[in-house]
Formats: sequence, structure tokens, C-alpha cells
Amino acid sequence: MNLGITATQYLEQIKNGSLTVEEFISKTMERINKVEPSIHAYISLNNDAISQAKQIDKKLKAKENVGSCLGMPISIKDNICTKGMKTTCASKMLENFVAPYDATVISNLKSQDAIIIGKTNLDEFAMGISTEFSYFGPSRNPWNTDYVPGGSSGGSAVSVSALECIASLGSDTGGSVRNPASFCSVVGLKPTYGLVSRYGLISYANSIEQVGPMARTVEDTAFILNIISGIDQHDNTTIDKGKVDYTKELDVGVEGKRIGIISEMIGEGVDKQVAAATSKAISKLQTLGAECNEVSLDSVKFSVATYYTIAATEAGSNLARYDNIRYGFDFDVEGYEFNAYISKARKNFGPEVTRRMILGSFVPSAGYVGKYFLKALKVRSKIKSEIEQAFKKFDLLIAPTSPVLPFKIGEKVDDPLSLYLLDINTIVANLSGIPAISIPYEMTNGLPIGIQFFANSMQEKTLLQAAYALEKTTNLPGVPI
Amino acid sequence: MVKREEIVHAANLIKIDLKDHEKYIEQVEKILNYFDILDNASAESESFVTQEMSLDKLRDDKYVPFDEKLITQLKNYKGTFVKAPKMI
Repeated sequence: MNLGITATQYLEQIKNGSLTVEEFISKTMERINKVEPSIHAYISLNNDAISQAKQIDKKLKAKENVGSCLGMPISIKDNICTKGMKTTCASKMLENFVAPYDATVISNLKSQDAIIIGKTNLDEFAMGISTEFSYFGPSRNPWNTDYVPGGSSGGSAVSVSALECIASLGSDTGGSVRNPASFCSVVGLKPTYGLVSRYGLISYANSIEQVGPMARTVEDTAFILNIISGIDQHDNTTIDKGKVDYTKELDVGVEGKRIGIISEMIGEGVDKQVAAATSKAISKLQTLGAECNEVSLDSVKFSVATYYTIAATEAGSNLARYDNIRYGFDFDVEGYEFNAYISKARKNFGPEVTRRMILGSFVPSAGYVGKYFLKALKVRSKIKSEIEQAFKKFDLLIAPTSPVLPFKIGEKVDDPLSLYLLDINTIVANLSGIPAISIPYEMTNGLPIGIQFFANSMQEKTLLQAAYALEKTTNLPGVPI
Repeated sequence: MVKREEIVHAANLIKIDLKDHEKYIEQVEKILNYFDILDNASAESESFVTQEMSLDKLRDDKYVPFDEKLITQLKNYKGTFVKAPKMI
């Protein structure tokens, strides 16, 4: 059985009876058990997956109504609440936290008879770019296990890439879906802010984060986006998407599309091989009839400082709830003074979360709020208006997803600032709320390179169409693991 | 230039104990120095909104009981109260 089939192929095979849900889920579980010791994509697995598969097979046999996923195995980043399953955020603080409710995106998937196959590894509380900051240990890149899979949704990207599921949900606060998608050679989409509900996504930086789909093809990504997007009464920031089907008209091509190449993301600091792959992709798009020209977004150079100032401030506020009273209990209150008790509890945070808590306390503090936090909010407005201006001239923007190739595990772990700087190509989408997608484009010395498109707010359809056109020009190898 | 004592103070405010964690102070100091790049961004004339949604769009403020079992997940739950450390 081929576990590398796309969602579309899976649905066809289930419908025509050449495959049962139980067969596919059982084989997927076998695969997970075989490859997990070398890649560590999952934190926990769904022990009921096979009995859920049997139930769906039974309904299919009896010709009862079955949701559009037909038992498709989908993995979920472990910062998205799944009722009755552990939701740890890869933190010691939530090591034993069992979510009492489903996030809206999970309810949506379940209502379409998806099978949540397991919960995937991440950087603790989604703070990181390499999945090395997980309390449960790092995930490894299936293309070369000495290398990081990117982050923070590293486990999700690994699970899709290594054929341990058909698709996954990650979350993207500064590139956390797109970066690991690029590093692991899968597709990853950060939707427009508000297109997908954040209800049940454990909060890190509310004003910029979004849940996003990851899959092996653009079409599969569009299929999952159809299911998880739309207005949600539990999340007041959600937007009505109207009657849109992202899987339709994917093949319209890019002829006549005006594509802006972001100058600040292809020059200094970009790996030569990444730059070469990007140039090749741009040439291909021109061959397909797109009009590609450089565009300068001057404030990109301030985006890393802006992003980390805002994200840390929101994190400092959101993570204040982890006080060992409401969450993360591991020792009794007896004999402790209030502050000492909470300080001791917060030693359960790992290094990156601790750093961001300190930053998150500092940058909005009296005396510094004007210099850092309020200034960052102003620069964010400036970035937004530069992006708006750019979309008056262009339908899409393009850049490499990451300025560098995947790096070795341990290589950058003690230099947080160097890791932060690698976010430069992804964070403008979060700061401005626009959608962006990373698609696998090339392999260099066995390591993947992803190309990123940005579109204007709510233009996911245009974004997916361009990604689909570029995807069709590639011919990438199968995962070696 | 940010002073080390100020970083320690900010950490204390958010109840992060920096004893034995000198390296965090240095790392945060380095990151804050990098953030100074924001001084060069001419954005003084920019405005920003802190309240994105108009208040009339909020849902009605009515009591909706949640699953009662939820509170029993608290490890410090003692039947009718939650045990917390001494405040004073």
C-alpha cells in the first residue's frame, strides 16, 4: 500500500472500495511505529484511531452519510486542544494537561470524519524555528536526520513529509507553518488573520497567530483549508469567507499575473543556493506568463525587532496563567509565599519561553514602552501600509521561505538572536495579516528549499493558484526514510 | 543602554527567578540591543489601533455554565475552593 498518496487519491480509493479506512489507518500506525524512533514527529498518538476507522468503514458499507474526509488520518500540532487527548504545548508545564474541549478547527475536522491520528511535536509554546526547544526532545528532518525540521510546527511537517499522515494542522505566529514546510519539503499555508478560528489554539501571540494546513500538495492544502476556515462564534476575530471553494479553479495558471519579488528577502544574508533556486522559480513563472518585477519593502529590515517585541509582549501576558494553580501542578502550595511559589513553578519553562517571558515583561514596561512596544506597533502599521501599496501594483509577492537551508541540530541553539533573524522572510505576513504559502521547490545536497508566495488579505484562492502553477513545474524525489 | 538590574527587575515582575541563570540576562541584553534598530525606523507619524473590534460586535454577556467536571481537573481543588499559596 502506498502511504504517500494525496488526499484526493485517498478519497477516490476509499470511494471506489479499493481501500478501507481501517487498512490505511493500520498501515499508517505501523509506519509511525517504524519511523518515530529516528524522527520523533509525535508527542502522543490516538489509541482509538483503528476503532474510529472501523466505525467509518461500517458507515460507508451501510451507505450512511460520511463526512468529506472519509477517515483520512490528520495530525495536529500539540498546541491545539483536542478533547480527551493530551495537549502539552511541548512544555513540562502542560505535560499532563488533557484538553476538556475541542478547538473549533478540530470540531470542523471531526465533523467531516477526519481521524486525528496524533499530536505533533513543536518548540515549547510554539516559540522557536527548529523544534529543538521541545521539552520532549527535538524532531528530526526526515531528509537528513542530523538536521532540524524547522519550527515551530516541526512535528507536523515531519509527520506529513515522512508519510505518517495525509495532512496536518500547524500554527503560524511568525512563520511556524511555512518554515518547517520549507525545511521538510511539504506545503504549508498561513491564512489571512481571521480566516481560521483560533478558539482552542493555546494562546501565544493572539494578534498575529493563525492555524494553518500542511500537506504534500497544494490541492490537499486547499482541501483542508475549506474545512477549517470560516466564521466562528467562539472567535470574534474570524471573518466571513463567503461561498468559496479553495479546491476549485486551482489550475488557472499565472498568465498575466503581476508578481513582485521582494528585494529585501533575496539579497544580503540569503544562502547562495536558496537565492539560485528562487531565481529559477521566478524564471519558470515568467515562462508561464507571469510578469515578475522587484519591489522594495523598506521596513522589512525592522520586521524582526517589531515582531519579537509584539510577540514577546503578548506571550508575557498569555503565559502569566501558568502559575501551578490553574495549570501545571507538580508541588503543593503549603509553606510557600505567593510570589515564591509561582517563581518556582515557572522554572518548569524551558529556555526560549523563559527568555521571551523576560522580554515580554521588559519591552512594555514603564520607561521602555515608548522605545520598544509602542514603537513596534507604529512600525507594524508602516509595514502594513507598505504591503498595501505593493498590492496596488502586484497580485502576488514572492520570496524564498527561509533565507537558509535546514541547519544541523544543536548548531544554533545557544544563539537565540541568530535564530530570530532567520524569521525575516516570513514574519511580514503575520505582522500585516496577509496570507502566505510555502511550496517545495528544490533539493540541494539532499536538503529541501521552499518558495513562498504572499497575496493580499482574503486572496487565498489567488495564492493557491500561483502555488499550484509553480508546483506543477517541479519533480521532487520521494522522502528517503 | 539597558542596565542588567533593569532586566533582573523585569524578570522579577513576571516572576521569573534568574538565580543561576546569568546567561539569560546576557542573551536578553543582546536581543534588546538588537531591538534598538527600531530607533532608526521613522514611524513617528504612524497610528495604530489597540481596539480592532467595535464593542457592539461582542456577544451578549450572559452566564453559560461550563462542564462542571472541568474544575475537578485542578489538582488543588478541595470541594468548594481552590487552595492557593499565602498572599500576605
